[in-house]
Amino acid sequence: MSDEYDNNKSYQAQSSEVMDGSTGSVNPDIDYVRPSEVGEQELYHPHSFIEKWVFCQDAKVIGVQYFLTAVFTGVVGLILSWLMRLQLGFPELAGFMTAEHYYQFVTMHGMIMVVYFLTALFLGGFGNYLIPLMVGARDMVFPYVNMLSFWMFFVAVAVLMASFFVPGGPTGAGWTLYPPQTILEGTPGAGMGILLMLISLSLFVIGFTMGGLNYMITILQARTRGMTLMRMPLTVWGIFTATVLAMLAFPALLVSAIMMTLDKVLQTSFFMPTILKAGEVLEYGGGSPILFQHLFWFFGHPEVYIVALPAFGIVSDLISVHARKNIFGYRMMVWAIVGIGALSFFVWAHHMYVSGMNPWFGFFFATTTLIIAVPTAMKVYNWILTLWRGNIRINVVMLWCLGFIVTFVNGGITGIFLGNVSVDVPLSDTYFVIAHFHMVMGIAPLMVIMGAVYHWFPLVAGKMLDEGLGKWHFWITFLGAYSIYFPMHYLGFIGVPRRYFEMYDSPYMTSAVGMNEFISIAAFIVGAAQFILIFNIIKTLKTGKKAEQNPWKANSLEWYTSTVPPEHGNFGDRLPVVHRWPYDFSVPGAKEDYIPQTTAPSEVIHTEVEKT
Amino acid sequence: MSEPKIDGFELKPGFKGMASDTASDQTMFKGVHWGKAMMWIFLLSDTFVFSCFLISYMKGRGSTPVEWPNPSEVFALEAFGVPVPLLLIALMTFVLITSSGTMAIAVKYGYEKNRKMCGWLLLATALGGLTFVGMQAYEWSKLIHEGVRPWENPFGAAQFGSFFFMITGFHGFHVSIGVIFLFIYTYKVFAGHYEKGKRGWFTKLKGDYVEIEILGLYWHFVDLVWVFIFAFFYLW
Amino acid sequence: MENTNNIEKTDKKEEASTHKIGIYLWIWTLLFVLSFFSYMVDWYQFQGMLRWSLILFFMFLKAGLIMAFFMHLFWERYALVNVLLWPMTAIACFIFLMAAEFQYTLFSRLFYFVVGGGA
Repeated sequence: MSDEYDNNKSYQAQSSEVMDGSTGSVNPDIDYVRPSEVGEQELYHPHSFIEKWVFCQDAKVIGVQYFLTAVFTGVVGLILSWLMRLQLGFPELAGFMTAEHYYQFVTMHGMIMVVYFLTALFLGGFGNYLIPLMVGARDMVFPYVNMLSFWMFFVAVAVLMASFFVPGGPTGAGWTLYPPQTILEGTPGAGMGILLMLISLSLFVIGFTMGGLNYMITILQARTRGMTLMRMPLTVWGIFTATVLAMLAFPALLVSAIMMTLDKVLQTSFFMPTILKAGEVLEYGGGSPILFQHLFWFFGHPEVYIVALPAFGIVSDLISVHARKNIFGYRMMVWAIVGIGALSFFVWAHHMYVSGMNPWFGFFFATTTLIIAVPTAMKVYNWILTLWRGNIRINVVMLWCLGFIVTFVNGGITGIFLGNVSVDVPLSDTYFVIAHFHMVMGIAPLMVIMGAVYHWFPLVAGKMLDEGLGKWHFWITFLGAYSIYFPMHYLGFIGVPRRYFEMYDSPYMTSAVGMNEFISIAAFIVGAAQFILIFNIIKTLKTGKKAEQNPWKANSLEWYTSTVPPEHGNFGDRLPVVHRWPYDFSVPGAKEDYIPQTTAPSEVIHTEVEKT
Repeated sequence: MSEPKIDGFELKPGFKGMASDTASDQTMFKGVHWGKAMMWIFLLSDTFVFSCFLISYMKGRGSTPVEWPNPSEVFALEAFGVPVPLLLIALMTFVLITSSGTMAIAVKYGYEKNRKMCGWLLLATALGGLTFVGMQAYEWSKLIHEGVRPWENPFGAAQFGSFFFMITGFHGFHVSIGVIFLFIYTYKVFAGHYEKGKRGWFTKLKGDYVEIEILGLYWHFVDLVWVFIFAFFYLW
Repeated sequence: MENTNNIEKTDKKEEASTHKIGIYLWIWTLLFVLSFFSYMVDWYQFQGMLRWSLILFFMFLKAGLIMAFFMHLFWERYALVNVLLWPMTAIACFIFLMAAEFQYTLFSRLFYFVVGGGA
C-alpha cells in the first residue's frame, strides 16, 4: 500500500455523498439535490418611485444606499484627517485651528471611520448587496425591517453630522469617549456635542441590530438548494461572523452610551468619581471610570474584527478568482474566521494595559491576544499559498489584494509588539499605536474595499471600471499610505505622543518636525488620490465599456443572475441549485478553467474536482 | 414546537443531529420559522444588553466604599400596619409569572388554531403586563416620594438609585413594548387575521400563528430578565 | 364550503402534536413555588454564602424552567440550543473578570483614600 494519491481514478463529485443526514439510500442520480424545505419567498414589489428608490425593500438597493451614505461620511472623515495633518505638519498655515478644533477633528475622524464608514460599508453595503445573491436567496428574509435598518442608520448619520453645527461643536473627547473628561466642562463639545454623539451611536446600534438579524437569518435559514454552509463563499463567512460579533458586542456600546447619557443629563455617577475642580468638589462621586473602559472595549475589540473579518472574507474570494486557483485550505479559512470571532470576546483589555485595572489582567489578556495571532497568521499563509503557482492576473483587483496582504502583515506584526504588556507600556499613546491600527484596520480593509469595488462594479452597474485610472489610484494610495504610516512607527519609538495638538520645542522632537511635514504632504496626496475612484465611477457610468455577464469568470452565484445588474428577486423564475463550492478554478480535466457552482456533477464527470 | 418532518432529510437526535443539521443545505435550524430564529437571535443580543447592565451594577456596587442601602428595608411595604419586606416586588413577580403562564398556554392554543382561547389568553397576558407596569410606576413614585433620585438617595450610596432606575426602567420599557404588541396581536387574533390570510399593516406579509409563538418568546424573555433582576437587585 | 371543512379536519390532526396543557400547568406551579422559596430567603434573612447559594440556585432553576419549557428550548433541536447557549461563555468571562476588577477597585480606594496609601 502506498499512501500516494491515486491519480488514475478520477474523482467524481456526488452530491448524495455530501448531504449529511440524507435518507439512508444513496440516490443513484449523482445530480440529486433534495427538494426545497421552505418554499418560495414572497416579495413585495415596489409600486412607485419612492418605494423603488427611497423606501426600498430590495436588499440590493439598500446595499447601495448604505454604500453611498457610508462613503459620504468617509469623505467627511477624510477631510477631517487633512485638517489634522495640516495642523501637525504646517501649523503656521492652520492659524484658523485652535486646540479645541483639533480634538474635535480627531474624535470625529476616529468615530466616523470606524463605525459609520467601515462597519456600515462592509456589513450594510457589501452585506446587503452580496448575501442574498451569494447564498441564492431572493432577498433578505425580512425586507421591511431591512429597509428600516438603513433609515435608522441614515438618521444616526444625520444626528452625527448635526453635532458639527450645535453650540460648542462636536465632542472632542477622543473616539474612545473616556469619562470623566468626556462630559466635563473644558472638554470641547461637552454640552450638546457629546449628547448627539451618544444618541447617534444608540441609533446606529438599533439600526444595525435590525440589519444584522436579517444578515444572520438569511445566511442560516434561507440558502438555496444545495448551498451548505461549507459551500458558501468566504465573503459570506466573513460578513456572517462579523455580524455575529456585532450583534453580541454592540450591546456593550449601547449600555455604555445609555449610562453616559444619564451621567451627562441626570448627574448620575456611573462613571464619574469624586472630582475636584478649581478647589470645589463637583456633584459627582463614587463612580468608576474604568467600568466605562471595560464596557467600551468589550465592544471595541470585537469591533476591530467586525471591520477585519469581512475584509478577510472578501479578499480570499478576490485572490482565488484572480489567481484562477481554489482557495488554499478552505475549511481552515472558515474555522480561522470563526475562531478569531470567538476569541475576540476574550481580549478586550489589551487596550487598557496602562489604565490602572487589576494588575493580574495583563497576563490573561496578553496570552489571549497572542493566541489570536495564530488563526490570523494561518489566514495569511493560506492567501500566499493560494497565490503560489496560480495563474495570476495582475489587474487592479489583484493589485489591491496584494497590497492588502503586505499591509496587513505589517500592521499585524506591530500588533504583536503592542499585545505584550511590557512592550506596550512605553509605546502606548505614541504614534506607534496610530501607525499600528491605521495599517491593520484602516488601510488594509480599505484596500479590500477598493479591490471589491473594482471587482463587483460590473455586477452593480453593468459597466467595467477603467483599468488605467485604477492602477494610478492603486499605486498612489499604496505608496502614499506607506509614506504616511512607516515614519509614524519611528515617531512612536522616539516617543512622540498621540493626540497632541502641537509638538512644542522639546529637544527630542526636532527630528520629528521634518518627518511630520513629509507625512502631511503624503496624506494630502493619498486623500486626493481617492477622488480618482469617484472620477472613474462617474466617467464609467457615462462612457464606460459595457460589461459582459460574469466578466471575471467567477463561480459564485452572484454572477449567474437572470439579468445584469440583477433585478428584484435576483434569479428570475427559478432559484439556482448548487452542486459545489465556489472555488473550482483550473480543475484538471475540465474544458474551461472555472466550473460554476450550479454545474451538475454529471456535466463534469471526468474532472478532478474537490469534494465539497 | 413539534418535531418537524423534512422531505428527503433524516433528523437525527442530539449532537449528531446538530452536526448533520449544520452541514446540510438550505437551513441550519430545521423546521424553525425564520421569524422565530430571528427573535431568538434578537433575544441573544438583548441578553447581552441586560448582562452588561447587571455586570455594571455588580462592578458599581462592589467597588463603592460607601454603604449600600438594604433593599429588604427600602422596598418594604406597610401591610396591616406591619412593614413587610419586598411585598410589592413579590406581587410583581407573581403577576409577571402569571402572565408568562397564560402566554405559554396562548401559544399552545394558537398552534391548535383555537382562535377564541388564544385571544382570551393573550388579552389576559396583556392585562397582566399592564398591571406589572402599573405596579412598577407605583413603586417608582413611592421611592421618589421617599427622596430616592437617580443621582442621590437618603439611604446610602448614590449609585443605588442610579442603577435601580436605569435597570428597572429598561426592563419596564421592554414590558411596555411587549404590552403594546400583546394588545395588537390580541386584536389580530380576535379579528381572525390569520385565518383570512390578511396582510400586516406595515410589512405586507401574510401572518400565521407562529407569530404568537414569536411574541411569546419575547414575553417569556421579559419574565426571564425579571428573574435575574429579582435575584440580583432585590435579594442581594 | 367543503374545502374549509377539509382544512379544519387537517387542523384537528395537528392538535395531537402540540404539548399537553398539563406540562405548562406543572411548570407554572413550580415557578410560583420557587419564587416563594426565593422570597423566603429574604424573609428569614439568611446571610452569607447560604443566602448566595440559595438565591443563585433558585434563580437558575427558574430561568432554566422558563427557557426549557415556556420558550420550548427543551424541544428544540441541538443546533439552535447550542447557538444560543455558547455565547454565554463570553458573558461568564466578563462577569468573572469584573468581579476581580471591583475587588481591586475597592482595595485601591480603601488603600489610598481611607488607609492613606503609600504616603
